[in-house]
Parts: sequence; C-alpha cells; structure tokens
Amino acid sequence: MLGVLVFTVFPVIFSLIISFHKWDLLTAPEFVGLKNYISLFTDDLIFRRVLENTLVFLIVLVPSQTAISLLLALALNQNLRGMSIYRTIYYLPVVTTIVAAALIFQIMLDFDYGAISGVIWQIGDWLQLPLQPPDWLNTTLWAKPAVIMLTLWKNVGFTTVLFLSGLQGIPAALYEAASIDGANAIQRFRYVTLPMLSSTTFFIIIILVIGAFQLFGEAFILTGGGPAYATMTVTQYIYENAFKFFRMGKAAAISWVLFVAIFAFTLLQVRLQRRWVYYEMEQ
Amino acid sequence: MNYRILIVVGALLFLLTATAAAQDDATIIRWGVWGSEEELASHQAVADTFNAQHDDIVVIIEHTPWNDYHIRLATQIAAGHQASVPDVFFLAQDFGRYAESGVLEALDAYITSTSYDLSDYWPNLVENATVNGSIYGLQRDLDMRLLYYNKAMFDAAGIGYPDETWTWDEWAEAAEALTIVAPNGRTEQYGLGMEYGKWGQLVLQTGGGIVDDPINPSACVLDQMPAVQAVVFMSDLLENGYAMRFGTLDQAGGDTRVFLERRVAMIVQNGSRAATFAEAGMDFDVAPLPIPEGGERVNNSGGARFVMNSASENKDAAWAFLSWLQGSQGQTIYIETSEMFPALRSVANSSAYLESPDQLFDREALVIEAAHVRSMSLGSFPEWDELSDLIVTPNLQSIFIGDTTPEDGVVVICASVDRFLEQNGYPRSE
Repeated sequence: MLGVLVFTVFPVIFSLIISFHKWDLLTAPEFVGLKNYISLFTDDLIFRRVLENTLVFLIVLVPSQTAISLLLALALNQNLRGMSIYRTIYYLPVVTTIVAAALIFQIMLDFDYGAISGVIWQIGDWLQLPLQPPDWLNTTLWAKPAVIMLTLWKNVGFTTVLFLSGLQGIPAALYEAASIDGANAIQRFRYVTLPMLSSTTFFIIIILVIGAFQLFGEAFILTGGGPAYATMTVTQYIYENAFKFFRMGKAAAISWVLFVAIFAFTLLQVRLQRRWVYYEMEQ
Repeated sequence: MNYRILIVVGALLFLLTATAAAQDDATIIRWGVWGSEEELASHQAVADTFNAQHDDIVVIIEHTPWNDYHIRLATQIAAGHQASVPDVFFLAQDFGRYAESGVLEALDAYITSTSYDLSDYWPNLVENATVNGSIYGLQRDLDMRLLYYNKAMFDAAGIGYPDETWTWDEWAEAAEALTIVAPNGRTEQYGLGMEYGKWGQLVLQTGGGIVDDPINPSACVLDQMPAVQAVVFMSDLLENGYAMRFGTLDQAGGDTRVFLERRVAMIVQNGSRAATFAEAGMDFDVAPLPIPEGGERVNNSGGARFVMNSASENKDAAWAFLSWLQGSQGQTIYIETSEMFPALRSVANSSAYLESPDQLFDREALVIEAAHVRSMSLGSFPEWDELSDLIVTPNLQSIFIGDTTPEDGVVVICASVDRFLEQNGYPRSE
C-alpha cells in the first residue's frame, strides 16, 4: 500500500502539478498556469504532427492486428500434430526485446543489401525488369509501414494467444447444434464464433488502442522518429521534451493530454460495447 | 547461523577499516568518469600515477556508463544531492547550463594563484569553457573529425589520395569516381558515408551558420549565402547516389561499420576509430577535411571537459588533481594509453605523440585541423539542442531524402527557426 502511494500516486499527482509549471530540473519550478496546455494546441506545430502520426498508427494497427491475430488464432486452433510448436513460434516475437527486433528489422530493410530488399532486387534480375525495393527508412512514404510491420510482427503473438483461449472456451455443442441446423462453415463463424468471441475482442481492442497511443520503442529505435517527423509519436515527444530538452512542465502536460485521450477512448468503447459485446452470463 | 559467512563478513569489515585507516590522513578526491573498459583503464592509469606521486591526496574513480552518466548527474542535482556528485568530474553535455546554475566551481582564482598555463591550449578551447566571464572547465581532448579513406579503393579507381589542398569540388569528384553501381541499380560501393551528425561542420566550413549568432541568435541564415552551399553540396551528393543516404547509413550500423564492410570509400570520423580499422587489417589513412572554395578550415569538434563540483569540501585538493590531470603528465598518460588528441599544444607537438611507434595514421592531419578548432559554434545557447533536434534536423531530412528541393527546404527551415527564436525570447538583451 505504501509502495503504491510512493511509487504511483505521488508521481501522478506530482506530474499534474508540474504540468502547470516551467521546470528544467536544475532551477526552481516557475508557475505558468495553463500556458503549457494552451501552447500545445495553439502554436506547437510538432505536437500536431506527432498527434497525427499516433492517430494514423492507431487507425492502421488496431484493426490490422485484431484481424491478423484472429486469423492466426483460427489457424492455430486446429487439432494437428505439432500444433504447440507452431503456437510457440508465433509467440516468440512477443518475448523478444524490442531493441533486438528493431535492429534486425533495420538490417533486413537495408536498401542495398537487406534481406527484404534483396528478394526484390533478385526478382528484378530474374525478370530483367528495373525493379527497385522501397527505400523503407529514407522515405516518408515507407517509414510508417516499416514501423507498422515491426509492431505487428512483435505484438501479434500476444493477441493471438488471447483469441486462442477465447476460441477454446466456446463449447463444441454450439457448433454441433449449428451444423444440425444446416449452418455452413462461414455461417458458423459468423453466428457462433464471432459473438462468442466478442468479449475477448473487446478486451483486445481496448489494450491495442492503449498500446497504439503509447507506441514508442518500435518507432524510436527503428527510425528515431524520422525521416522528417514521419514516425515521431506522442510518447517520443514526451520523452524528448523531458529528458533531452528538460522541459518537464511541457512533457507532463503532454502526458496528461495523452492520458485524457486514452481515458476518453476507453470510455467510448465501454459505452459502445453494449451494442456488440455478448456476455454468456447475461442469459 | 552459518559461521563461515560471519567469518567472511568479519574479514571484509576488517580489511575495509584497515584500508581506510591507512589513508586516514590523506584527502580523498572522488573523480567521476564514464567510459568503456579500455577508456576506464586509461582513466585508472592516470589516477594510479597521480596517487603514486602524492601522499596527501587519494583519487578514487567513480565510474558510470556513458548512457546513464548525464541523466544520473542531472537527477542527483535535481534531488538536492549535489554533495554526492564527485569532486572532479567529466562533463560532455549541458556545460553552459551547469555553469550558469552554480553547480560548477569557477576556476579563475585557482588558475591565477597557481599560475596554471592557459596559453598552452589550442585556440578557442578556453573561450568555449568561459561562461559569464569565468572559466568553469578544462577541456581534455579534441574530438576532431578527419577524412578516413580506403587506399585500395582509391587505387582501384585510379585517383590520388586526399590531402590538405582538397576542396569540396575534388571531394565530390572523388566520391563520384569511387561510387560503383550494379546494372540493376543497386549501389555496391558509395564514395562517401558521412553520418548526418557531421553535416553541420560543412556549414561552418562555408563561413556561415544556421543562425546569425551562435550565442544570442536573432535570425536564421541557413537560406543565405554562404551557408546554403552546404545544403546544396550535401543534397547533390545524396541525390546523385555518391553518398550513402543517412537512413541507410544508420540502418547499416553507422559509418564505422560500412567502412569496415567496404561499402563506402570515405567516412568522416574522429581519431578513435583508427584502432578498429587497423585491427581489421584495413589499408587506410586519414587526411584533413576538404573545405569549400573560398571557405575556411574549421573543425566543429566536441570534446569533454573536466570540471569541479562547487559543493566539494576539498576544493584545493580537487584543484591540485585537476591541474595535474590537465597538465603535461596527465595528458601524456592519456595519449599513451588511448587514441586521444590532447587539448594542450605542447603535448600534441611532443615526440611522445608525433613520433610514437604505435601510431595508426598520419597524426599530422590532426595537428593541421587542431589549429582551426571552433567547438560547438553552430549554436551554444541553452535551447540549441532542442532547436536542432526538433526543428532543423527533421526539416533538413525532407531536403536530404528528396521530398523538397534545397531552395524551398531552407526557406521552410528558416521560417520555423525564426519562429522558435521568437517564442524563446531571442535575441535577448544583455
């Protein structure tokens, strides 16, 4: 209890107080009222960029990771020999450190010699066509997809396991009943699997949205936020303001804006869930 | 209770008290440094020699890894524990901020009372360590950039090695001649692999800057002659494919790596990389950096300083160590135990340095550059790092990756820079 107080409650309150101050860690904090918040929304062009980037990541990552992990979970839910090995393989990236994963991706994405580019150069040679691989980390067009690929690769295993446990909780009797009623495979998926999975899906979407808002390591290590702001996220902006430029008040203010955004999104989803999430207990 | 543990603990306690007793009458000076194992070994050699020569002072090293060093320092001070910061410590970042906020001891009085010789420093080093008229640190070394070149690649391309007469024109021509592109368009060898962090030096070489005054700026001048030449020069090299793009260079592990892998013929780096290249059996040498036609030889070198904690309880002893460390004895140990270019001219021109049997490259190139050192001259006001990282760099990237032309790009940069300066109250009236 004391631990929670000292290490959680105090820093949270302290950061709220600091967000109304100008503080560089060295000299005494100076009270500036709402100035940190106001300038974020009026004259901070970079904040707008990082907010847009974060929203793009959110809009792409949440549906794509949900869809991919659902498909993987369906595939991994078969009764085949050696299935536990496949399941382990998909989970491996989750336990890989992000730094190692990002560095490997950097090497693979190298324009001239990377493994991914290499395949494309090779295909071009075979077809005698002037095929060029994307210059992933040197173009604003391809840098975001590169970060998204890495994030998906790294995290899809986790949500797959959640879906898998959800799938295994669906009673076989429901499928049998549906089959007897003449439902085909697609109909069984649509009317049995999806509703029965809705509470799992709800949970997954909530954590993915929070994760997308907090996206940091993947972009920071792979691209450093570049090129030309293309992959800089809100969290990186907080980090740089706090620990590179010692604008603690501004960093705290952005953190609180981020918190409010996450809180609002989560509330919204809790509201919306009543329309589509199905809990077995309600019957 | 396990008696063996008790005995071991007892023995350790006894040893500790015994060592403390032996040094009881000596003043202990805590010396804060960062560094790899090799760097730590050369710091240790310095401390050992000093301790052997002095009975009244004992120097003890407090080592923090580079990644945590400056943030730990900032945290200690913010928490009000300045007394726990070492008496003498190494400082590479935020020197001006620390000096202004009173964390560092002004050294003027010690310098005068002990007749410490400041005239032996290379030009600008003392000025760069002066804040509000007082000297707050002594620079240990010059972290100067040199042009490393792969001799075998130059031979294969049939061009002569670079020397101090080279201008940017010769440099660009060499980069073109050294670039090898496969029929499918994949570049097998780039002429130049210069990291983005070194680009600022080109601006200084033109005689211009990013802002009009590095200390109290009033406007951006990157969109004007002569500074704009540096943007055009670099963006031409990148667009023509003679220089490896910055993103690719980062991805490939940095300039040292691509030079080792023989993917580039030239890189711009400081002297510390020579050992790695020599160990790998590369046929390389260094030359002074080429300068633009009508430009000036400028080396925008960093280099860390040794400073004294203003909360130290043993300032005289700390100065005794600091002045010895920054004298010919301390500096000579560093050049003997590491690849460091000394801040003192007499040490750089000594036979111990120039005629050392284990030199890995042409050390004369360093002496040529050292006479033109101008540390941190692109910007040295408190918000410079923020301006550089958050505004100048991302917008320059737009030019260097070809999203915009140099002509249009610099206009955008200067508009943003001017806005930033205004928001932060520049120019400030003294």
